[in-house]
Amino acid sequence: MLAAQVRADFTAFRRAPSALFFTVGLPVIFLVLFESIFGEQMVPGAAGQVSLATLQVPGFMVMGVVSASFVSLCITMVNRREAGVFKRVRGTPAPAWVLIIGQVVTTLVIGVLMVVVMLIIGRYAYDVRVDMALVPWLVLGVLVGAIAFSCLGMALAAFVPSMESAAPIANLIVLPLYFISGVFVPVSELPSWLATFASWLPIRPFVEMLSYPYEPGAAVPWAALGVVAAWGVVGLVVASRFFRWTPRRD
Amino acid sequence: MSAPPAIAVSGLVKEYGGRRVIDGLDLQVRTGEVLAFLGRNGAGKTTTTEILEGYRTRDAGEVTVLGEDPARAGARWRARLGIVLQESQPVPTLTVREILRLYAAYFPNPRPVDEVIHLVGLDEKAGERAARLSGGQLRRLDVGVALIGAPDLLFLDEPTTGFDADARRQFWDVIQGLRSTGTTIFLTTHYMDEAQALADRVAILREGRVAALGTPSELQASLGGVEIRFELPAGVARADLPALSVAPRVDGPHVTVSTEHATADLAVLCAWADGRGIDLPSLEVGRPTLEDVFLAIAGDAAPGGTR
Repeated sequence: MLAAQVRADFTAFRRAPSALFFTVGLPVIFLVLFESIFGEQMVPGAAGQVSLATLQVPGFMVMGVVSASFVSLCITMVNRREAGVFKRVRGTPAPAWVLIIGQVVTTLVIGVLMVVVMLIIGRYAYDVRVDMALVPWLVLGVLVGAIAFSCLGMALAAFVPSMESAAPIANLIVLPLYFISGVFVPVSELPSWLATFASWLPIRPFVEMLSYPYEPGAAVPWAALGVVAAWGVVGLVVASRFFRWTPRRD
Repeated sequence: MSAPPAIAVSGLVKEYGGRRVIDGLDLQVRTGEVLAFLGRNGAGKTTTTEILEGYRTRDAGEVTVLGEDPARAGARWRARLGIVLQESQPVPTLTVREILRLYAAYFPNPRPVDEVIHLVGLDEKAGERAARLSGGQLRRLDVGVALIGAPDLLFLDEPTTGFDADARRQFWDVIQGLRSTGTTIFLTTHYMDEAQALADRVAILREGRVAALGTPSELQASLGGVEIRFELPAGVARADLPALSVAPRVDGPHVTVSTEHATADLAVLCAWADGRGIDLPSLEVGRPTLEDVFLAIAGDAAPGGTR
């Protein structure tokens, strides 16, 4: 049953041009643009001077994962709820977790694909390499991040009133966060209070987790892992308290 | 011994914000019958249906559907139901076959997907995405989804709203086919001709209670009297009509006179028409239609929407 759900969800995602563009296309386009404009610069990383690409490849990996697990998942959940798809499925013997896990697994697969795309572009176009010994950190970071952001996406979906408002609301939340989390602009450029503030929100620590395998000299990002996981738990609690299966009009 | 009823409801009560929407509703639906559930907007049709389907809770009363209480029944019970909601859209980017395949995976003993596609007449659209289907085709897909689990009991909530005449006929054929396989069908509809064509029995809901229950024929007989129907001739206003034993009902050009004195009224009408040298188009005399029964029993339209 879960396999059928994931297959259907994946097919639906693949056929939605806007989801595909925002999740897969946009991070790649941004990376290429930023590197062609600012690529020669060296910037302060977590452990000494590094090329901008060393910071931005993991940054745009995060953008891909967040776009799939948070933005796209939230939009899909709201759409299915408001169209009555979920209400229909709740009238069949299918348990609720099939719908939730189906979406989480689908967006996780897409997020992982994005990470792989970024790994390859980073390695062959910009010569940024992952320390092979730290690949497990990359895997752990992507898994924890994707699951945490899925929980946050579900939580947000509970408060989004209509299909039309899902995409603007979700994007309005993540866009400023990308700016203060080292995705577009290195955090070294930010005032320190803003950088500290961002480190308590979920995106900056997620970037730190995925940057670590690129900057092996840096401290092990346990704190970042903890912050992302904590946000995931918050999302899970809020979602399980407020999530609804039936359209708002009901 | 006869089979136990598919649905048994007694003393059902549901309140919204202190207002009793369902107020002591009693109803039994026999196994294998098609029951048409009629009522004006706001009479409580969808609320009742959704309580029977297990979507909504009730405030009082006994409800048994396929031997279980919908408020507590689990997945095994839901596997025996087919539900067509009043409003729902499929995932637009999936094809007819993909959607049915997905729903088939939810059920323990699904019907073969291609059999269902054929049953609802979508063979030629099986590979088409839902977004490209017409309203009638979407609704038939909806019914296909409800049939995929081979249900014993099928709920149809206003299934043909927005259909053209052809699509409605095709849909009726599907329902009649299902009925012949022994599926119990609980049909909510606004269309009297639909109830007349499909239903074994009709229940008319008024102010949260079943105000009338019987075969279409029984209900028509219960109203008594005779109906004189005709169309207003061109250039004739309602006020021009002669005085009859009862005031005629005028709906656009359609005039209906429900009378206990058919011969006398008919004589007056004919003399009036003859005197003016006009004809009464589509003149007919007959017994009351199901629609007349509905209008007489369902009462004035309640304010508010369909819930």
